[in-house]
Amino acid sequence: MAKTILAVDDSGSLRQMVAFSLTAAGYQVVQAVDGQDGLNKARDQVVDLVLTDQNMPNMDGLTLIKSLRGMSSYQKVPILMLTTESSDEMKAKGRAAGANGWLVKPFDPKRLIDVVQKVIG
Amino acid sequence: MQSETIPVEELRQLLAGVSDHGTQHLLEVEADLMQTTYLLSEAIEKLGACFMSVHEAVTAQQQELDLLLQQTKLPSEQQQKLLHYREVIAKEVNTAVTGLQFQDLTSQLIARTIKRVNGLKELLSALATHGDSMDSEQEHQEIARLLQEMNQSLNSRSVELSGGLRKAVDQHHMGSGEIELF
Repeated sequence: MAKTILAVDDSGSLRQMVAFSLTAAGYQVVQAVDGQDGLNKARDQVVDLVLTDQNMPNMDGLTLIKSLRGMSSYQKVPILMLTTESSDEMKAKGRAAGANGWLVKPFDPKRLIDVVQKVIG
Repeated sequence: MQSETIPVEELRQLLAGVSDHGTQHLLEVEADLMQTTYLLSEAIEKLGACFMSVHEAVTAQQQELDLLLQQTKLPSEQQQKLLHYREVIAKEVNTAVTGLQFQDLTSQLIARTIKRVNGLKELLSALATHGDSMDSEQEHQEIARLLQEMNQSLNSRSVELSGGLRKAVDQHHMGSGEIELF
């Protein structure tokens, strides 16, 4: 059975490219338009990995990660940030919030798939 | 000896003029940025849809070729060529996926610029409001105090504006970004 990845990003074109890349590699992708939508979808269905942007309306990526880590079902689910932000300060905040990795946009599909495979197989 | 006077009316007109002209130009900048955002959104929507359609067609074509190859014995040279083309397509698809993320980055930069333009419009509006509070009947010292207050107010608003506009996009090209696992 295909593993499910929750892709959270307010950019439709970015979500489309993430979904295209991961679906081609055999994963099932659930899309969310912002942190709040991501949280709602994560509550509906426990996924195998969360890939989230940082700067989004309604709820940003760090807040989403903190909310997910507060849920017992998401304490061990890998969460990766996929964002334009690349400062050490933001990475440290992400790590403290509970992120397992940091990917700076734009992403290369092959490298994204390699990382996802490394994290969830 | 002639007493020192400040041409308050002219100063007030100058401040109002700077505010009006500046605001007009910033409104034009904002309109152009909004139009750019709209054009980029439409472009990425069409490019994304075309990319998906082309990829779907190429994938179907490759599947048909695979079937044909199973049924037909092709010379080794032609088989190698077909494999080479498959690799070229895969590589170009990867590059296209990276390139098609441009709108996410540009829209963030444009949104930041629009915020700055709006902040500047507020600054110019504040300049005109301060100018209105000046009166030709006021003493020299009083006018000097108002100008000083105006300067301080503009400085603090400018600092506030810069503080609220943290730069989130540092990328200067569309190459793949760094990856770090914690």
